[in-house]
Amino acid sequence: MKSATERARTFQWITIPILALFFCFNTFPLLRGLFYSFTNFKGYGAYESVGLRNYIDLFTDARVGNSYLFTFKLAFVATIVINVISLILAMGLNSKIKFKNTLRGLYFMPNILGALVVGYIFNYFFTYIVPALFHSESILASSKWAWIAIVIVCAWQSIAMNTIIYISGLQTVPEDVYEAGALDGAYGWKKFRYLTFPLIMPFFTINMVLSLKNNLMVFDQIMALTKGGPAQSTESISYLIYNNGMSGGQFGFQSANAVLFFIVIVTISVLQMKFLNNKEEQL
Amino acid sequence: MASITLEHIWKRYPNGYEAVKDFNLDIEDKEFIIFVGPSGCGKSTTLRMVAGLEDISEGTLKIDGRVVNDEEPKDRDIAMVFQNYALYPHMKVYDNMAFGLRLRKVDEAKIKEAVNEVAEVLQLGKMLKRKPAELSGGQRQRVAMGRAMVRNPKVFLMDEPLSNLDAKLRVEMRAEIARLHERIGATIIYVTHDQTEAMTLGTRIVVMKDGIVQQVDTPQHLYNYPDNLFVASFIGSPQMNFFDAVVEKEDGRVRLNVSGDRFLLPERKGAELIEKNYVGKEVTVGIRPEDIYESEEGDGRDEYAFSSRINVYELLGAEVLLHFDYAGKSMTARVEPTTAARMGSTVRFAMDPEKIHVFDRESEAAVVH
Repeated sequence: MKSATERARTFQWITIPILALFFCFNTFPLLRGLFYSFTNFKGYGAYESVGLRNYIDLFTDARVGNSYLFTFKLAFVATIVINVISLILAMGLNSKIKFKNTLRGLYFMPNILGALVVGYIFNYFFTYIVPALFHSESILASSKWAWIAIVIVCAWQSIAMNTIIYISGLQTVPEDVYEAGALDGAYGWKKFRYLTFPLIMPFFTINMVLSLKNNLMVFDQIMALTKGGPAQSTESISYLIYNNGMSGGQFGFQSANAVLFFIVIVTISVLQMKFLNNKEEQL
Repeated sequence: MASITLEHIWKRYPNGYEAVKDFNLDIEDKEFIIFVGPSGCGKSTTLRMVAGLEDISEGTLKIDGRVVNDEEPKDRDIAMVFQNYALYPHMKVYDNMAFGLRLRKVDEAKIKEAVNEVAEVLQLGKMLKRKPAELSGGQRQRVAMGRAMVRNPKVFLMDEPLSNLDAKLRVEMRAEIARLHERIGATIIYVTHDQTEAMTLGTRIVVMKDGIVQQVDTPQHLYNYPDNLFVASFIGSPQMNFFDAVVEKEDGRVRLNVSGDRFLLPERKGAELIEKNYVGKEVTVGIRPEDIYESEEGDGRDEYAFSSRINVYELLGAEVLLHFDYAGKSMTARVEPTTAARMGSTVRFAMDPEKIHVFDRESEAAVVH
């Protein structure tokens, strides 16, 4: 018989390979990025330290500012659209309807497709099919409306996962609570407002946090649909970091942008969790 | 308060299963009606049909003479206490009780008055600001009762409300419910599979099996005069003893021949058996454990006596249960704790002839009590 401490040591050894890999491919690049954010590195050649100048410049750079505005606008709208539609879908798919399981499977399909693949399919759809049907210009060519196309693609894909999370939430509500509600007079909207929604609040929290985070980091869809255009109108923060950092000679500057963006996302997620947790009912 | 009428009520599921078959019952105002029976007998389904939580497949349901088949549960003016309480987990006790009134747009001051009044009756005053998760099982049960009472409905429906409580609490709550019925004088339909609850609470008991009503009667009458074998075996604990016998007539008197032992029946019972043409037929005889006594030779009970070896001796404190085999059936006698009988000893028993029940072998219906 091995002693308890020996067994514990074995378990600790098991974690080491993963720890090493995590450090190599996550922590180390992060630290490198942090390091470069204090330099004027172009991605090649010699570089020197510039202190905090990259960070100061971030706040005066119009392109960076526009990308933040665009990204937040997109993320807020997409998060609302995704959560409203997936909650409605989940309620439909959780009710006593025919072909429920088949439909649940179908509605989950978008989630298993790659974001780039979906993006290119929608690119074709918006460029050729929609204009042909409505005899209009492609929405992707309009600097005013192209972002709507990105919202649609983001939503189409994210709704699948959010719906599944909402369905599992709805299944935690015991049927007899609804029955008691029926006797008390809670039907339709009242039933949703006073019983269903408060009872699935924890699931709403997690969906809101995940959606907002995912949408803030939007990248693949933009890569596939607009490449930030037209006229940089759909340039998200991630896309700007990638584009100007990798091929625009701004490796150091965009590293600073990435560090700032990292801090922004962590802050938003923490605040959101705190705020929504307060609203969550202790069940 | 209200009367309830169930006329030829059926419940059929889409797969053809019939959960309730031709249920007929008139419930008068202020009655405490118990639906009792083994699980799957349709008692809860019937209750849920009265509540409006299940559709009625066929038949008419009236509350106070008004047909309510197609009315929504909220419009039937009923309240229900669920087996798992079904409290709103996200609401405080106060809000749980106030919810129904709020949806009915009752004035908030009146709601407060009503909730406080009920909370006082149920001793929930200190718990009004807590959520259900912070309450014990018994307290949740009381909240569920309070939520029903606060609306002051015509009818209370209770679906096994005590089955999740421990034995001690169940006895307490049972008494509490009886007091409540006394106090508010409501019409109550109460579903249970616990026959003690059925016997102690009900003004009338409906015994069900396989979706069919077996007997509707007062607890006392049900116990003393069961309509058939099922009711006889279901009501009473330990259950009634049964064995086979042949009805014999000799010198004008009727005896039951149980594998050689011949028990003399009282004249009235004998006459009834003759009249109903049972002489020479095989019947099932039933006798309750408390109607079997220990007996001595020459004590005047020789005509009703038999002997058997005790298999199990159970001392329950105030009484002793003796288990033994007789006529190929295992039987139980409930005797005084002073008994000298022990496991393995042979005991002479005698039956109380007045308490012998005779059932038809085929139809299982009672022939004489």
